[in-house]
Amino acid sequence: MPAADAATTLLTVDGLSKQFSVAGTWPWQRRRLSAVNDISFSIAPGETLSLVGESGCGKSTAGRMLVGLTAPSSGRILFEGRDIATLSSRERRALHRHVQLIFQDPYGSLNPRMTVGELIAEPALVFGLADRHSVAARVSELLGLVGLADRHADRYPHEFSGGQRQRIGIARALAVEPRLIVCDEPVSALDVSVQAQIVNLLRSLQDRLGLSYLFISHGLSVVRHLSHRVAVMYLGNIVEIGPKGAIFARPAHPYTQALLAAAPVARPGARRSRAVLAGDMPSPLNPPSGCRFHPRCPFAVERCQREVPALTPGDDGRSVACHRWRELAAAPAEAPTLRHAPRTAQLLSLYRSAAAASGSCIGIN
Amino acid sequence: MSAQGPASTVTAARPSRPGMFQRLRSDKVALAALILLLVIVAAAVFAPLLTPFDPYHTNLRLRLRPPGGAHLLGTDSQGRDLLTRLLYGTRTTLVLGFAGVAIGTLIGGTIGLLAAFYRRLEGPLMRIVDVLLSFPSILFGLALAAMLGIGMDSLVIALGLSASPRIARVTRATAATVMQAEYMEAGRVIGLSDATLIHRYLLRNCAASIVVYCTLQFGETILLAAALGFLGLGLQPPIAELGSIAAEGRSFIFLAPHVSTAASLLIFVIVLSCNVLGDAFRDLTDPKLRR
Repeated sequence: MPAADAATTLLTVDGLSKQFSVAGTWPWQRRRLSAVNDISFSIAPGETLSLVGESGCGKSTAGRMLVGLTAPSSGRILFEGRDIATLSSRERRALHRHVQLIFQDPYGSLNPRMTVGELIAEPALVFGLADRHSVAARVSELLGLVGLADRHADRYPHEFSGGQRQRIGIARALAVEPRLIVCDEPVSALDVSVQAQIVNLLRSLQDRLGLSYLFISHGLSVVRHLSHRVAVMYLGNIVEIGPKGAIFARPAHPYTQALLAAAPVARPGARRSRAVLAGDMPSPLNPPSGCRFHPRCPFAVERCQREVPALTPGDDGRSVACHRWRELAAAPAEAPTLRHAPRTAQLLSLYRSAAAASGSCIGIN
Repeated sequence: MSAQGPASTVTAARPSRPGMFQRLRSDKVALAALILLLVIVAAAVFAPLLTPFDPYHTNLRLRLRPPGGAHLLGTDSQGRDLLTRLLYGTRTTLVLGFAGVAIGTLIGGTIGLLAAFYRRLEGPLMRIVDVLLSFPSILFGLALAAMLGIGMDSLVIALGLSASPRIARVTRATAATVMQAEYMEAGRVIGLSDATLIHRYLLRNCAASIVVYCTLQFGETILLAAALGFLGLGLQPPIAELGSIAAEGRSFIFLAPHVSTAASLLIFVIVLSCNVLGDAFRDLTDPKLRR
């Protein structure tokens, strides 16, 4: 797994924040909405970092800041060690070539008046990576790369299905030979069967081209399949970040535990200890004091209301923003083990003994 | 991993959506308007071939002859053949209308697109447009025609300027909707310049609505041109122009009603056809109204 130390880092985000100014009924009622609050992470070449969290937790805003669609309120974005904010607009534009975005909605993100060929050729032409003569070959190469055929180039986006359009979107992002692709929920608008194809495509492209992904998603199964590291966001803050294996196996932050527990598991009748969260996510217009998670946290103590927890590194590469995570981890927590429902377990044991008797060996765990 | 099976999800044949003109055929009134307009345009274009008379040749012995005989629609107060005058007058009027709308679209369209694209400009630009819209277009045209002087060039500019505020408003409304689309952001991420974004993304996606609105505005502009001609601020005699022909005939309306009537009827038919056609185009391009 790629380590994220300074020497091998492609992109570093340091204390990034975004506040939006929200208009009220009257001009003097303007309020500040803190969408992203002091987040820091880094992505190594060839690595996938997933940003997960509920809707409205600021993960899309974070992605938009990386590609330059939204200007950060404070904090730094370093691409290969260079601070994007200090560059001239021309250098910044050249640098943004290396950071591309795949959109959530494959229907709305392609200009309906351009053919697929024009759409894919456009970015390459803008950055001078191809001229008018060589661009056809480049389009054909990119179409092949994402699993479309040359003859698709003359058609318009509305003639394609959602999955195919998302492939066009990916080809368009790849056309400028980016180093990092921000995938903003790239599969959540697609059918489940098509989701798998797109996820596998993203994965094989990463292997072939050495891409890094910032994968923004609320689909935990997709995240588990694709990412190397995972960052969990809650109300604009990163509450836990670390290697995928560690986070999925032993979530340390109470919010991460609740989030993982809420994801459905493909096992009939599975019974799990569910840490169900009470209440809704508080409004980012008026975030809670101290730890932003404390009103919903089952383990909150008085300190959580006063002090903002900092991300503290643990021993397995993870960092957790919680005052009590070490004592919670040490405590004999009800482990979120997967068990079958009693009735299912009974049936399965019957089946196993029958299968053993008949000599066939079908493994069921 | 491979693509979804070849041509399994993409239909091999293009979906057989009926074309614009096929759908227009089902709208009898609009079709009649289109044919009428085409006939009028053709007659205006081929005027020298259709009539043996000279529109500027006066013959005072043949003043105000009623329709019939060698002069199919009679003659006017100077003894010129009225049909010839109308044919040449239609020519002038159509050119005025077309040039006026073209200039109006250029100005209004640019204002509308800029106001939608640069949110900062929206307030100032659209307030100016609001002020211009608060004048009736005939008053606005009159003021401009009086300011710019009399002649073809200044008349066309006056027509264009008075058409532009409405076109600006329609363009801004359409463009503001297009600006919401995610593909605008997709273009930005790729690093397109503002100019490219405006013409390749914004304009291409609202061109249809603008063109449709221009069809409606065409009739409006012709009417304004005729009105200015009628009021004497348009083209000056002896230039044949429908509005001024109607104005000339007004002095003899009890003696020879055919002069004013024929010119006015022709204006009426052209403007009505444009409006009916514009309405039909709008219905055809609006997916929500598709039957």
